[in-house]
Amino acid sequence: MKGIVFTEFLEMVESEFGLETVDAIIEASDLPSDGIYTSVGTYEFNEMVTLLTNLNKIVDKPIEDLLYAFGLYLFSSLGKAHPEVIQSYNSPIGLLYSIEDHIHVHVQKLYPDAELPTFKILEKTDTSISMVYSSSRGLYRLAHGLIEKCFEHFNASAQVSFEVLKEDGTEVRFDVVQSA
Amino acid sequence: MPKTELEILQRALERQKKARLQAEKILEEKSKELYDTTQHLKRANARLNNLLDEQSEDVDTAFLSVIDPYVVMDLNFDVIRTNESAKEFLGFDYTRESLNLGNLVHPDFLQYTRESMQTLLEVGILKNYRAKIYTKNGALKFVQINASLIHNNEGKPIAAQGIIRDITQEMEIEALLSEQRKQLDIIVENSPLGIVLAVGDRIIKCNATMQQMLGYSNEELKELTIGQISAYTDSKKSLKLVEKLNKGELDHFAIQKSYKRKDGSAFMAKTSVSSVRNIDGSVDYQVAMVEDITKEIEAKDKLLASENRLATLIKNLEMAVLLEDEHGKIALINSKFCEMFGMEAVPEELMGQKGADAIEQAKKFVGDPKAFDKRAADILKKRNTVLSDELEMTDGRILERDFIPIVSEGVYRGHLWTYSDVTLRRNFRRNLQAEKDKYSSIIANMNLGLIEVDNEDKIQMVNQSFCAMSGFEEAELLGKTARDVLSVQEKDLVLEKNAQRLENTSDSYELRVLNKSGETRHWLISGAPRYNEANQVIGSIGIHLDITDHKKLELQKESLLKELQVSNKELQEYAHVVSHDLKSPLRSISALASWLKEDYESVLDDNGINQLQMMQEKIEGMDNLISGILKYSSIDRRSDKETEVDLNQVVEEIREIIFIPEHVRVVIMDTLPTVCAEKTKMHQLFQNLLSNAVMHIENEEGLVKIFSEETPTHWQFSISDNGVGIPQEYHEKIFKIFQSLGTKERSTGIGLSIVKKIVDLYEGKIWLQSEVGKGTTFHFTLKKDRK
Repeated sequence: MKGIVFTEFLEMVESEFGLETVDAIIEASDLPSDGIYTSVGTYEFNEMVTLLTNLNKIVDKPIEDLLYAFGLYLFSSLGKAHPEVIQSYNSPIGLLYSIEDHIHVHVQKLYPDAELPTFKILEKTDTSISMVYSSSRGLYRLAHGLIEKCFEHFNASAQVSFEVLKEDGTEVRFDVVQSA
Repeated sequence: MPKTELEILQRALERQKKARLQAEKILEEKSKELYDTTQHLKRANARLNNLLDEQSEDVDTAFLSVIDPYVVMDLNFDVIRTNESAKEFLGFDYTRESLNLGNLVHPDFLQYTRESMQTLLEVGILKNYRAKIYTKNGALKFVQINASLIHNNEGKPIAAQGIIRDITQEMEIEALLSEQRKQLDIIVENSPLGIVLAVGDRIIKCNATMQQMLGYSNEELKELTIGQISAYTDSKKSLKLVEKLNKGELDHFAIQKSYKRKDGSAFMAKTSVSSVRNIDGSVDYQVAMVEDITKEIEAKDKLLASENRLATLIKNLEMAVLLEDEHGKIALINSKFCEMFGMEAVPEELMGQKGADAIEQAKKFVGDPKAFDKRAADILKKRNTVLSDELEMTDGRILERDFIPIVSEGVYRGHLWTYSDVTLRRNFRRNLQAEKDKYSSIIANMNLGLIEVDNEDKIQMVNQSFCAMSGFEEAELLGKTARDVLSVQEKDLVLEKNAQRLENTSDSYELRVLNKSGETRHWLISGAPRYNEANQVIGSIGIHLDITDHKKLELQKESLLKELQVSNKELQEYAHVVSHDLKSPLRSISALASWLKEDYESVLDDNGINQLQMMQEKIEGMDNLISGILKYSSIDRRSDKETEVDLNQVVEEIREIIFIPEHVRVVIMDTLPTVCAEKTKMHQLFQNLLSNAVMHIENEEGLVKIFSEETPTHWQFSISDNGVGIPQEYHEKIFKIFQSLGTKERSTGIGLSIVKKIVDLYEGKIWLQSEVGKGTTFHFTLKKDRK
């Protein structure tokens, strides 16, 4: 898993729960990287799982909610890092529609070894979009948070509902309807 | 700062330092990697370039030697290179002359070509571009081109290469096929036969005629099976045949079967089914041609019926018929023939026998058999239609024979003899002619002028008498307008009468015309309308009688009558004048005589007085005579003063007035009627008769009897006396004026004349019976209702 996810995750934990929590979850975990992450590096996905598990223990919040919160945070920080990507869209649905064909293509340029989830578009109108998230990581709640934040960014809101197609969360259908 | 917090910060800082080192290390590795990659790429690039050069030459050679024409052109369509095949195909050698492919494109395809070029520039390749182009020799070729762009080293397109395929023939074949398919479709759709394409029992396609026959639409039919449109019994039969077809036992069959329409009705149709097999011999589908033969069947039935009718008709014809075929055999003979020629055989037995035998039998009735044979042989030889040949039979019948050869499509098929008995007709015609002759001669010889005119008064026919009457020749009259040529004076009358003819009125009238010599003639004409066969008035017929002589006599009579009236009147006036003029000197004489008697009575002796007395009596007689004449002359006119007159009363008054001698009695035997008359005349009538009767009785006991009786038209009266009687020779004379038998002073001889005149006036008669010495009876009648 790309280092930027780890660095941004720890940034999120720091801003939400404080530096102590960051230190605590790193110290509590036996990590091959010793909790040392650089955004250009690549690390074991299991480390993320460990970090999440420990955070869950310490702050006593469900892992799903934590991932959702991370999603909200990650959109903003990614936006700050690559504003030109978001600026090329004028609507949240347009952005969502282009994840696979445009955003992920750019990601691949920077991080050729990145393992990206796929978003298969089922249906799209001017005000709604249906797609299937599919990833071996099963981090669909993270995706949920990213989607919500995306609408927020464009000063819009949306009704986002999801249906878990596979129990392990590796395939989830999202139905997004933009509120008027 | 608490120790833990410090430791946390130290740890965090440591992690950040290590992370930086880690990141720097990654970046160094990446830089090295990048450099290596660049070096590698440079080498690879150089190698590839060499390879490319070699290969492109190979490719070029390959392209240049391909069989299909190959062309490289720049983006303005100017040819850069072609292979030999292209040179040959286009007819241009780019090495000798510049060639722009754009100029070769047929004008119809220019727009398409521009668009295709645009696509090529955008996409890089162009597939299946199809257009017509002109080759050097002017031939028009249909080509298909697959092309791709050629880029320079900087990736900019600089040229295009393409392989040309000549598809002219392909397109022609395609066009031909589509044309043929269209033609076939037209034939199928317009075929008067129903055409069905089926696979097994399923209907695939039906043409319009079939749809019309069945009453289903094309879509409906596609949902149906052959079985569903076939009548039940026939469907089984045809299915069996179809089965055989499928098995390959049959390739084609034709049956007559009955089909079911959508509305449930059925029709008979001739159906011929063929199978269409694919390459391996199994049946792909069946094609059925369906011909509705309902009408044909009906027509066949009708033909049969009409043949039957015809046969019956001929059998019962009032004409003997003998039809012989080309071999002289009897094809048809009817019972009338057998009857006419007294043959015992019935027609059915004679069919097929030799016609000559039948004729031979018939011949014994023919009056002149030799002539008959000769004529028949002649007719048969010429084989021309002969009509109304007359044959006299031994029994007096007259037959008419027709001969009609029968020729079909120029080939002699036999002939027809017909015989009809015209004896009656012939006699009838003869009688008709005789009648006609009779009337013609009547018309020609009658003494009345006959003329026929049409509705325009144009003369159509005149007889001799008319010519004689008018003085014109027949030729001068025919076709002329009758009223003009005859100078009719009353032209309007003629027009009026002609108009009446149109209204079917007949009547008589008189005309004045001028004959040829200009004399005026009076004609009495009886006119009647003339009709044609359709009972329409086409003119009129006039019968003319010349009444000029009658007319002249009539005119003479009229003038005589007028003269008579005048002289009658003069006479009457004369009687008046005379009686007045005579009476006044008579009165003077009477006065002078009475004065003489009074003044000289004493002087005169008895004889003188007696003579004076006698003078007075004569004067009185003279006066009576004059009064009688006056009365007589004034009786003429009947006055209007007629009233109801009771004759009993009249007789009563007369009894008192007249002198009745002592020994005479007047008796009314029947009560007399009351009549409508002028009373004074009745008085005069009875007074005169009664006076006469009572006067001439010398018997010791005189008796005058008055009788009356009624007849349907008249009253009859009789007055009888037993007087002296009147000799026979005076019976007529006595009614004439101034005739008197007696010598008595009072008899003037006028009385019976007055009686006669009054009886005449009342349209009666007077007569008498008398015997001298025994008495006289006068009878007279008076008409009851006079006008």
